[in-house]
Amino acid sequence: MIFPPGATALTDPDAVSETLYDAVIIGGGIAGAIIANQLSQAGQRVLILEAGKGEDMNVASYEDYLTNFYTAVSKDNQAPYPVNPNAAMPRSTDVRRITPGQPDTSPYLVQNGPYATDFTYTRVLGGTTMHWEAKTPRMLPEDFDTASRYGHGLDWPFGYDDLEPYYQEAEREIGVSADVEDQTYLGLGYPPGYVFPMRGLPLSYLDQMVARGVDGTEVDLDGQPVTLKVRPWPQGRNGIPNPDYDGGHGYTPVGAVSTHQVEEGGRCQGNNNCVPLCPVQAKYHAGKTLAKAVGNGVHLLTQAVAYRVHTNPVSGRVTHVEFRAYRDSSSAEYATGTARGRIFVLAANAIENARLMLASDLQSASGLVGRNLMDHAYLLNWALLPEVAGTGRGTNSTGGITDLRGGPFRGRQAGFAIDIHNDGWGWATGSPVSDLLHIVDAQNKFGPDLRRSLIDQVSRQLLLAFMIDVPPNPGNRVTVDPAYRDQLGNMRPVISYSISDYTMEGAAFARRLAKRLFARLGAEDCTAYSPADYGYVSYGGQDYVIRGGNHLAGTHVMGTTPANSVVDAALRSWDHQNLYLVGGGAMPTIGTSNITLTIAALCFKSAGHMIERLRAEQAPVVLSGSNQ
Amino acid sequence: MNATRPAEVKRPVNVKRLQDLLQAAVELELATIPFYLCALYSLRPGSNDETGLIIRSVVVEEMLHMVLAANVLNAIGGEPRVIGAAHVPRYPHELPDGTVLDLLPFCPEGVEEFLKVENPQYPHKALDPGHPMVAGRRPKRHLARAASLMGAPTTIGAFYAEITDGLKGAAAALGERALFRGDPARQVTSEYYYAGGGSPLPVTDLASATGALTEIVDQGEGDLASMYDEDGDLGHYYRFNQLKYDRTYLPSDDAGAPTGPQVGVDFGAVYPMIANPRADDYADPELRAASDAVNRTWSRLLSDIEAAFNGRPEALLPAVPAMFKLRDQALVLLANPLPRGDGRHAGPTFEWMADH
Repeated sequence: MIFPPGATALTDPDAVSETLYDAVIIGGGIAGAIIANQLSQAGQRVLILEAGKGEDMNVASYEDYLTNFYTAVSKDNQAPYPVNPNAAMPRSTDVRRITPGQPDTSPYLVQNGPYATDFTYTRVLGGTTMHWEAKTPRMLPEDFDTASRYGHGLDWPFGYDDLEPYYQEAEREIGVSADVEDQTYLGLGYPPGYVFPMRGLPLSYLDQMVARGVDGTEVDLDGQPVTLKVRPWPQGRNGIPNPDYDGGHGYTPVGAVSTHQVEEGGRCQGNNNCVPLCPVQAKYHAGKTLAKAVGNGVHLLTQAVAYRVHTNPVSGRVTHVEFRAYRDSSSAEYATGTARGRIFVLAANAIENARLMLASDLQSASGLVGRNLMDHAYLLNWALLPEVAGTGRGTNSTGGITDLRGGPFRGRQAGFAIDIHNDGWGWATGSPVSDLLHIVDAQNKFGPDLRRSLIDQVSRQLLLAFMIDVPPNPGNRVTVDPAYRDQLGNMRPVISYSISDYTMEGAAFARRLAKRLFARLGAEDCTAYSPADYGYVSYGGQDYVIRGGNHLAGTHVMGTTPANSVVDAALRSWDHQNLYLVGGGAMPTIGTSNITLTIAALCFKSAGHMIERLRAEQAPVVLSGSNQ
Repeated sequence: MNATRPAEVKRPVNVKRLQDLLQAAVELELATIPFYLCALYSLRPGSNDETGLIIRSVVVEEMLHMVLAANVLNAIGGEPRVIGAAHVPRYPHELPDGTVLDLLPFCPEGVEEFLKVENPQYPHKALDPGHPMVAGRRPKRHLARAASLMGAPTTIGAFYAEITDGLKGAAAALGERALFRGDPARQVTSEYYYAGGGSPLPVTDLASATGALTEIVDQGEGDLASMYDEDGDLGHYYRFNQLKYDRTYLPSDDAGAPTGPQVGVDFGAVYPMIANPRADDYADPELRAASDAVNRTWSRLLSDIEAAFNGRPEALLPAVPAMFKLRDQALVLLANPLPRGDGRHAGPTFEWMADH
């Protein structure tokens, strides 16, 4: 995929300030890229403002990110990216336990607690797809009306069937590898003859070993038996194109992005490095869509941080976005610019969208901007299998257990999806580095003995990550406080968050199930939750550690009226007619699926409305009594 | 392009000759693979990233060409062969137009050989046999089967043209169905072989056969009328021209020198492999064992390919990890200086080992 050379230098803050665009988009991640691409294909003039750094996307700069990651001593999902105080990124290494009444104010995200979140998101061109894992399951039909159905959460203003055609577009844009036969469960349906763009990636050897113990396990929930089965995940990475896709036209996988032709990334190689970066760019990242958008003439201004959204006090229409353009990330010097458009789209993620609105004094009539902040709650369970299982091959997760994502039990406790981690205990314990240190320092091994111990230890590691539903809670919120600003003078997000009993009931069940599954596999349960951990939660007299998944949502929910929501079903603000707030923030619930596919589908849906609206505004007016 | 082609001789319709020519085509494409792989593997890990991507993209397409040629051969009832002393290429390897392929580390002289292979009109200065890199390292040339079949110097383009013309003539004389009598189940399709720029086309008739042969010539050395093939990919010659000039082609560039950003070619960051290495060069038993390991993997890979070409296309799936293994084992050799004392390193010899 060619990224037109010079595209990031086509315009500058002064030129932008002189231009009236059709659409101004804040954020160069997947949401901003999809909307920019759709609108530009419809002939609209589009500007993307990206806070982070970004030169022309090419293999050399991507390799720099990889080198940063490979050489980093502490490998977290932001390790490839240089620290940039002007567009600061929260990192999991920032997080500390919160003492009640004493907010943690030192890192970029100010945390009130009581639960210390480890939210991260990436502020470079490409956004958080520059560290995502790229699992792309759809939401279940029942996820769209859990309030009516189960008395928990919020209902969406439309259902699965309404979003289904847009899921197809999202699957095409991202490039999803999956087989319909594996993805038809709990009500998930597809039009007759639909196939995913590429064939499903095979289950790993580890998955198959786990399946031997898991498949057929009967779980009883409220008198309803559910049988478990290991299933492959739909993945946003390149596999074998399905010749039946698109009425027999097939599909051409999109590999690496560069300013000149490169052949790389056409197929997943199983490098096991997915988070944060695929070494060959077989995994989708938003650069693949940005390249197309820029090729259509979209203007891209990087190192431009949105500072304030200005509105007309009478009409409520957004007049312009004031931004701060910096040259040097280590310096607080900036130039002020103005971005003007017929419509404005906030696509900076759930936390930054809310932050910007509140910093602009734009709380909606509903009072819900910033509220209902959600992220999936992960409960990690890890064990040592009785024999070598080939851990360390394949994508980070090729298979999982989805049978407990839905069902009547959700009236009482949260559902969950279970990931089988091909990369061992890493997320839970810091493996394999922690194993190496232990074998060398504590066990004094070296030479062939050391090598054998590493293989013996690491290749038997099984991590089951339970991704648990978190319903919206107005008390979980993003706010701002002028006392907390970043280097550029932007107010920082202030997070208040707690985990509900509904979710913890699901976590407790998850823990019991994990122990049962480990026993069936003959695996030695090594899970331990420490009260000293920042994610510690006590529930029912038991210790738990809850991790976040960075599936940030809810902070500007969509709904049916201006009183119960911030945006309508097209993701347009009820309060400001020419403003759209897209991304996870618009989702009323997150169910038990990673949210990026749904975000992308919503962008295709919303872009359709934007184009209609822009065309209607630009259409000639027919006067009554004229000769027409 | 026809300058060295022999005078038009009306050959009788001879399916056997077409099968021989197609077998020679399979071997021709196979012969380019070790030639390019030595250059690719000789790049020191961590350097020459873009150079490596460019060379690898060509290797992957030469394999595709080999698959396409095998598909055509299978379609007319032939049985492609790639194993055994009779079929595995040896080096230096002489092509039908007189060009010599040496196994060389990545170097300016090697780039000249790449350009010549991909564009027979390219006015390269052939490596002088006395050049220090190859002096004494060209004991005997292995003549490509295509060269012996053609009888006189012929460009690769003309070689494939003869096959295409031959197929058309035979189809007219015998009937298309009679000519394309091969079992369709023997065709290798994109289910099993992935090559960046193109897809293996199943060959079942004259149109698909000429399509497959056109793809070989189009992507490779043949169609220099246009820089880009019909998929919009740069032809191989132009990809290598980027290495010669150390610049990439911009979409706006014409067929002269490229004017885009630097590739970043670093001839210094290369293992100084000895030219045309042979297992017999390795008196040291450890070195010899490392060389035998490479050759066993190479032979196993060729066996998988032969199985894939003879009714088991799924045998190409283990070829992927075998390629990774080949690279890792080759690097063991490339990292080691030879005991000769002149600073040159060992390298993969790509020799057939029957007991693999």
